[in-house]
Amino acid sequence: MSVKYTPVQWNPSKYWYDAVMLVGIVGFLWVFIYAAPGALNHEFPINAPIRNARAFGACAFVMLTVILCIGPLARLDRRFLPLLYNRRHFGVMTAAVALSHAYFVLGWYFSFRQGTTQWEAVLSSNTSYGQVLGFPFEALGIFALICLLLLAVTSHDFWLKFLTPPVWKALHFLIYPAYAAVVGHVALGAFQSRGNDTLAVIFTAGALLVAALHVLAALRERHAAPATTAAAWVEVGPAADIGEGRAKIAILPGGDRVAVFRHEGMLSAISNACAHQNGPLGEGRILDCLVTCPWHGFQYDVRTGRSPAPFTETVPTYRVKLDGGTVFVDPTPNAPGTPVDPLPAPNPEVLP
Amino acid sequence: MSAGAIIMAAQIYTLIGAGVAALFLTIGMDRIDEDARGAYAFRPLLIPAVLLIWPLVIWRWLREETGTARWQARHSPPRAAHGVAAVLMALVVIVTLATALTIRQTWPADIAPVQLTAPEPAQ
Repeated sequence: MSVKYTPVQWNPSKYWYDAVMLVGIVGFLWVFIYAAPGALNHEFPINAPIRNARAFGACAFVMLTVILCIGPLARLDRRFLPLLYNRRHFGVMTAAVALSHAYFVLGWYFSFRQGTTQWEAVLSSNTSYGQVLGFPFEALGIFALICLLLLAVTSHDFWLKFLTPPVWKALHFLIYPAYAAVVGHVALGAFQSRGNDTLAVIFTAGALLVAALHVLAALRERHAAPATTAAAWVEVGPAADIGEGRAKIAILPGGDRVAVFRHEGMLSAISNACAHQNGPLGEGRILDCLVTCPWHGFQYDVRTGRSPAPFTETVPTYRVKLDGGTVFVDPTPNAPGTPVDPLPAPNPEVLP
Repeated sequence: MSAGAIIMAAQIYTLIGAGVAALFLTIGMDRIDEDARGAYAFRPLLIPAVLLIWPLVIWRWLREETGTARWQARHSPPRAAHGVAAVLMALVVIVTLATALTIRQTWPADIAPVQLTAPEPAQ
């Protein structure tokens, strides 16, 4: 037995998250369209489709920029983790806003060519792919939109389980080429207009912020990665650093993560990836002998990697050993749900 | 390839996806995922995804039906490749911004516009 699928797994924090996001989107569009026409170069009369296309396009870029900032920020500072946990709804809304931008663009710029449909017009109106100045930036926008739609439509829990995390995550790596394409779409398109320096500054600052945060986070993770080979035991750190009911997360060679828990003075190690959506089990705490995943509340016995009956989820377990107060973990996982005898841990109070 | 051919190919691709969606959402998913049995409200949400990634759906469906799926895969998100993808994106973004700034047009914006007059027609 497991948890049946539902259309959307709501909880109070998601209601708040989505409410704040919707207020932000409506506020952005209102400011863009009505409150700041001078700063956004709307002093020249433009019609509603152009104004709407610009507003939704700018909103989609800002939303995508915020989404791309959340991941590295959460890796650099744990206080941003709550933003990360609910990021999926943010992505779906971004795809909807980007689709609205495309709708307004197609409805105005590509609607008046006789004998062709809107999509034929957008694909054939500029085919100068061999030059930078005048490059058909619309193609970059179409590529990014397809990526965003792919990510949005495969965001349901079912797809993560059905495709398996490696395939699903590989598919969702499309967010990176999508953002690069969006930057190219704006840089070779609207950015080339000298009449709108306010947006140009916002665009450049946003894109550079995303690039800088990702490089910083990658550098930090590189320093944290173990220098051992796959066959050697991996050092986790001093046992005294692991608080009662808490875990310390170690990165294994190859990038997998293991969570080493202290429960009633004993050490146990399980995969850090929850069987449900690969949520970070090591960031949960043990209640009633069970660690609770902070994302959706799935629970596992840290000694066996098994969910309590009647649930049937399992995660891999790992062997642990102590050497002079330092915890080591065997990087080879046991099959999911394999019991491992907990290791008595030194009392944290008596260790230096 | 002409724009018309690309759109035609996309339409055919989506049409096949609709067929796969009809089969998978009514028959296939109940056979391979116990969490889906008796759960129907969420299935319409999956239709757009099947339309877009139906080759992937067929491949995974076959793996599950034939029992050739690896259990390890379910617990090992590919985190190691994450950093490479993110840094590559950052590099492309920086190069793109630099290129866009280089080719950005400049002109003397403070000069008042002059309305040109049409040349006299040739006699």
